Amino acid sequence: MTIPSTAASAATPVSTDPGGSTVPGLRLSGISKVLGGRTIVDDLNLDIAPGEMVSLLGPSGCGKTTTLRLIAGFLLPDQGRVEVDGAEITSLGPERRPSAMVFQNYALWPHMTITKNVAFPLKVARVPRAQIKERVAEVLELVGLSHHADSRPAHISGGEQQRAALARALVQRPKLLLLDEPLSNLDAKLRVRVREEIRDIQQRMGITTVLVTHDQEEALSISDRVAVMSEGKIEQVSTPAELYRAPATEFVAGFIGSSNKVRALDLGEGEPGVEWVVRPEDVRVDPEGMPGVVTRVLPHGHYSEVAIEVRGTDLRAFVTGEAPAPGDEVGVRITRALRYRNGTLDEAPVTVSA
Amino acid sequence: MALPPVLVILLFVGVPVLLAVGFSFGMTGGLNRTAAMIGQDVFTADGLITGEAYAMLFADPRFPRDLAATVLVTVVTTLLVLGMAIGIAVLLRLRAGWASTMLSGLGVIPLFIPVVIASWAILNFYSGDGFVRSLFAQFGAEAPIFGFTVTGVIIASVWVNLPFALLMAASGMQGVPDALIDAARDAGAGTATIVARVLVPMAAIPLIIAGTFTAIGVLGQFTVPYFTGPNAPQQLGVDISKYFQSFNQPQQAAAVAVIVFVVASGVAAMYVWANFRSAKQEGRV
Amino acid sequence: MPTMARNLGGRILTAGLIVLVAGFILGPLIWLGMHAFATRWRYPNLLPDGLTLDWWRVVFAEPELFAAMQNTLFFAPVTVLLSAIVCLPAAYAFSRFSFPGRRIFLVGLFATNAFPKMGLFVAMATVFYGLNLMETTLGIVIVHLIGTVVFMTWIPAAAFSSVPRSLEEAARDAGAGKIRVFRTVTLPLALPGILVACVMSFLASFDEAQGTYLVGAPSYMTMPTEMYSLVLNYPTQVAAVFALLLSIPSVVLLLLTRRYIMGGQLAEGFQIR
Repeated sequence: MTIPSTAASAATPVSTDPGGSTVPGLRLSGISKVLGGRTIVDDLNLDIAPGEMVSLLGPSGCGKTTTLRLIAGFLLPDQGRVEVDGAEITSLGPERRPSAMVFQNYALWPHMTITKNVAFPLKVARVPRAQIKERVAEVLELVGLSHHADSRPAHISGGEQQRAALARALVQRPKLLLLDEPLSNLDAKLRVRVREEIRDIQQRMGITTVLVTHDQEEALSISDRVAVMSEGKIEQVSTPAELYRAPATEFVAGFIGSSNKVRALDLGEGEPGVEWVVRPEDVRVDPEGMPGVVTRVLPHGHYSEVAIEVRGTDLRAFVTGEAPAPGDEVGVRITRALRYRNGTLDEAPVTVSA
Repeated sequence: MALPPVLVILLFVGVPVLLAVGFSFGMTGGLNRTAAMIGQDVFTADGLITGEAYAMLFADPRFPRDLAATVLVTVVTTLLVLGMAIGIAVLLRLRAGWASTMLSGLGVIPLFIPVVIASWAILNFYSGDGFVRSLFAQFGAEAPIFGFTVTGVIIASVWVNLPFALLMAASGMQGVPDALIDAARDAGAGTATIVARVLVPMAAIPLIIAGTFTAIGVLGQFTVPYFTGPNAPQQLGVDISKYFQSFNQPQQAAAVAVIVFVVASGVAAMYVWANFRSAKQEGRV
Repeated sequence: MPTMARNLGGRILTAGLIVLVAGFILGPLIWLGMHAFATRWRYPNLLPDGLTLDWWRVVFAEPELFAAMQNTLFFAPVTVLLSAIVCLPAAYAFSRFSFPGRRIFLVGLFATNAFPKMGLFVAMATVFYGLNLMETTLGIVIVHLIGTVVFMTWIPAAAFSSVPRSLEEAARDAGAGKIRVFRTVTLPLALPGILVACVMSFLASFDEAQGTYLVGAPSYMTMPTEMYSLVLNYPTQVAAVFALLLSIPSVVLLLLTRRYIMGGQLAEGFQIR
């Protein structure tokens, strides 16, 4: 097959390259992988600018982890090319690739101290001893683990293990940092703190980074761009704001944030092939609107999620302030919507006047 | 609930061992009286203990040779067994497939063959008119005779002890998570480095257990050297029965047993120490 | 392509390794097995002069050899049963309760392996004379029993420990009594480990020769003890037939339980917790 030389290929709506550089930090062109008779990754294209952080986001089984393992070299693609900083590395094993990975369960070797874990990649690369010492101390300082240098993995907390794993990746000064669900084993509070730390370090060091996650909040909050994957293909690669504002496909619209899917804005029959996606914040409770009955109220703190049955359709609305009670008769108005024709975005947003 | 097996061991192992240790040091009273009366060259302590039985053993130049040969066979066998077990286990862990499955299946077979048969089969295989010599003779070559040699004892000992070590090594290495191996590869390590720095250290405890059991078993074994070993130097396990039955010197037999026991206890202590140390380090205690 | 050359080299190496290991492990057994059907065998022929079943007739015609088989098939199951009765409750206790001296007991059971068997049997004879156990069935069973205690305690203890407590608690919560929980949850889950322990104990008893000879001979001869005299007093072929017969129960066990033994139950049992 021919490989498209421009950043934006036909299959993926890639947004403009934010770095403005001609050589991408990572380029995946047309990679496919079949495992056990199933196509896990299907003709996937992705360009990442140097220093950029891109998340691969998708439900489990969408091929995001397989894609990461193809980038790391644990799997070799059946088709396509992998390039890092312009150099082709498609057929190299992980030990010869300029990438470093942070594993989901951290994969720290339990029989080595934190220092030894972090020093391991340098020892394997036969870096002189004095330099190893210096670089390990430096990177432990960076992640704030200097006081645990001689501890064993089992004796430090989950957050600290996570940072040790990050240190082991950073000490290699990789051209490409790969993060495989790095926060999924941390509790909710810690997750928010650690992801900000990761983002901070990544930006300061300017490392091209790929993050795999199934947590959309995580992906949206720390990435430059997010690639939403489904069934081995990338549905959309965009900045977090764009992704929410104008989801390119119905799948993305349904996957990112919550949404209502309706056939027509007046909840009637609508046209064939056309569907409307309405965000709950664009569903207003207004006495002037269509009449409906509140069926359920789920308080979320500063707002409530209210389920309202309108003309036989169940609509979700986010209501700030005082929420109606179940059984209340209310009026409902749709203020904004996204229009999809045959699954792809047709027009967005459509503002509906009162 | 925990008492019955402990009592069985105390009564039928603990008591006899203590009696034997005492007997070897010249305590010939009590339950030892019968043996002391029947046996020859029995020394009775004037005070608390006497080392005369041991002195008599070492006065015979054959005994130090036997001791050295036993230690040699133990060390070589343990190393060979561990080497083979690690090799097959690594293959099984890193290159899973029919070949490694077949190797491990082969390696476990000796577990199910009675040692008597194994020893005798191996003796015949490597003896003067055995298969190995016959095979070489087809090509006009002369193969060495391993029957009734120390080498033969080592071959048979490796054969008998391979399954346990293999099962321990395989289980230890199967327990190493994929991610830890992937992490090492990602860090740039080749296969040799992964084996030496990740797989073997992480399977250290099962390997030490395997090594300990092999060493202890080989130190005191009787059947294997009885069938396959030379008349001189003999293994200590055979010596015990020789002193007891052929020479009618029960005290010297007990002394040999105590010597084996002391060496084996040293090995066993290492095992217990290693076990607890790793449990502490990895946060299991 | 260097990878293809490496693949091919690796394949040749693997094949060579398999032939070597197969020769090392199976060679002696096959060589011995062939003797059981051989008329005469002259060095350096790789095959016997002729084939015959005469040696099998010789073995079955010897009443002593037949008695030895019967004895062996009696002692091994009895030993396993007795060992299970004595050791399994202890294994459960070691796994589920923590009591003072627990570790010492466990390590102590293991330490019995450090004393050479031959020396132990010689010393045991002293105690056996005192208790009138020489040349008795009970005496031989005890000799066999002490060889199984470590297997029957350690492996089931590890198996019991690997049953998650939450599963037992869920059964208790569902209203099952302690004994019912043990019978319906703990025991079935620990069964593979117990099975492996039984197999190892059976083999240990089946294999025991030195102690049996010392305590039981000449009244009680088992197949392994008969092997000692057979090798000296009969032609190679007779011993080969006997060896084949002696291997049959073990091989059947191997085929039945290989899955569990390879499954790591054995290895798991030897790590002190």
